[in-house]
Amino acid sequence: MPRLSRIRQSRYLPPLVLLLWGWLLVWSSMSARLDLLLNAVFHPVVAIAGVVLMVLGAIQLRSAPRLKTPLTPLSWLVSVAVALLVLLFPPSPSFSDLAANRSEILPEAPRLSFFLPPEQRTLTEWVRLLRSQPDPDLHAGDPVRISGFVLQRPGMQPQLARLTVRCCLADATPAGLPIEWPANADPKPDEWLSIEGTMTTQTKDGLLINVVKPRTIQSIPRPERPLEP
Amino acid sequence: MTRFATGWAIFQGLLIEALPFLLLGVSIAGLARWLVPQSTWIKRLPRHPLLAPVVGALLGFALPACECGNVPVARRLLASGAPLGTGFGFLFAAPVLNPIVLASTWAAFPDKTWLLWGRPIGAFLIAIALSALLGLLPESRLLASALLEERRLSQPLSRVGLLERRSGLVGVDFNASERRLEEVPLRPAELLQHSTREFLSLLTLLVFGCALAAAVQTWLPRSWLLALGSGPTVSVLALMLLALVVSVCSSVDAFLALGFAAQVTPGALLAFLLLGPVVDLKLAGLFTVLLSTRAIAITAVAASLLVLLIGQWVNLVLL
Repeated sequence: MPRLSRIRQSRYLPPLVLLLWGWLLVWSSMSARLDLLLNAVFHPVVAIAGVVLMVLGAIQLRSAPRLKTPLTPLSWLVSVAVALLVLLFPPSPSFSDLAANRSEILPEAPRLSFFLPPEQRTLTEWVRLLRSQPDPDLHAGDPVRISGFVLQRPGMQPQLARLTVRCCLADATPAGLPIEWPANADPKPDEWLSIEGTMTTQTKDGLLINVVKPRTIQSIPRPERPLEP
Repeated sequence: MTRFATGWAIFQGLLIEALPFLLLGVSIAGLARWLVPQSTWIKRLPRHPLLAPVVGALLGFALPACECGNVPVARRLLASGAPLGTGFGFLFAAPVLNPIVLASTWAAFPDKTWLLWGRPIGAFLIAIALSALLGLLPESRLLASALLEERRLSQPLSRVGLLERRSGLVGVDFNASERRLEEVPLRPAELLQHSTREFLSLLTLLVFGCALAAAVQTWLPRSWLLALGSGPTVSVLALMLLALVVSVCSSVDAFLALGFAAQVTPGALLAFLLLGPVVDLKLAGLFTVLLSTRAIAITAVAASLLVLLIGQWVNLVLL
């Protein structure tokens, strides 16, 4: 306890905490951790904030011996512990788990993708297209080349899906396509797959829907930027 | 374990996203505290019951700060003799009516245009209503005693008698050491130290808020959220309660609201964004430097009722 009091009385503690948080933001930007957490628009903002925090921390570290510092609140030490935990344990979310608990209201497309040749459309672009043009027969027979993770919702067939984010992982919205899995396929939740095949139609619960019929299914590593805008 | 890993990632996403906005808010609050002039223009602000809070609310654009940052600025205004309406208009509206908060709301909800208008308009109406309501109380029962003493020093003798001033001329000696903190302009090094302490204190609250939001998103079953979030009144009340508990700064609360946005009614979403900047657990402590206990209670009850009404009205229109 006396040691804790000495730490809390140290005039170097506040600038060091500032430096730690600044380093956390800079490190998150450099280590591509942000690709898993935020929309790319915000990456520079985070990096700049990290640099600013580090500069402010360094300035205060220099002037610390000349300033009187009140006792540091215990809660700041909690924030130090949290910063260290964030640095030590990088994010490793289960996209399938995350998506299973979300609604599927996709944000507006950042650009029009309807004029792209079918084989160049990403999975998210396919989902947006199918929702905006609800006649499934229009796309039957189109070639499909997509990649995504296996989304397993309780009581439903596995789909191939991607997550879109406007801001951060907290608002991630899944976009999933039904797949006609071959008999020998064993898709596991969160497994990343690349699928080439054809768009077909099927009747499900009395409704005609589009389903991807794979020609080839290939297991792939998670992409560097798995989130889509 | 998988679910914990997902919750941990959501927590990191929320925290890292919100940190730059918190830094910006605290930096500007620090600058505002440094720059708020001690000149006579403050005393020349309009005293009209409607105009005063409007001017106070619009001051948020000149002195943008979140609700924690603007408490010291509002105190400075009132202590310098600004009209009560202006001080309260600034206190209650500026946490929303400022470029940083509007920018963070836009960043979080670029597709919800109605929210980008609804939030500032709602905050503006609440600030005017609260200012009018608090204006019904006499100053002696409205303001915290230390602030009241400072304020009376700034009032002309035509308004406040010598006996009420407690300035050392007549009555009890004024506590000079407390006054010095507010009166003497801070040196840059002190300002930096002050802002650092503010940033680190708010950061702890932000960590707590993000942890709560991530936990709710990860472990609360979607069916519960949908059941709670789809009721036009229940959802508003639930998100108001959440705003009270989470106590997150207005410059970053939009990012937290984003986590619940898909599961709750539009009125509940707006209620979360309107109530937090005016009333929350963290502010209850901060307000004691400004208001008497009775005035804090009146503010909390009135703001909650107004937000509930606005939330329900929005649900009536948009649902």
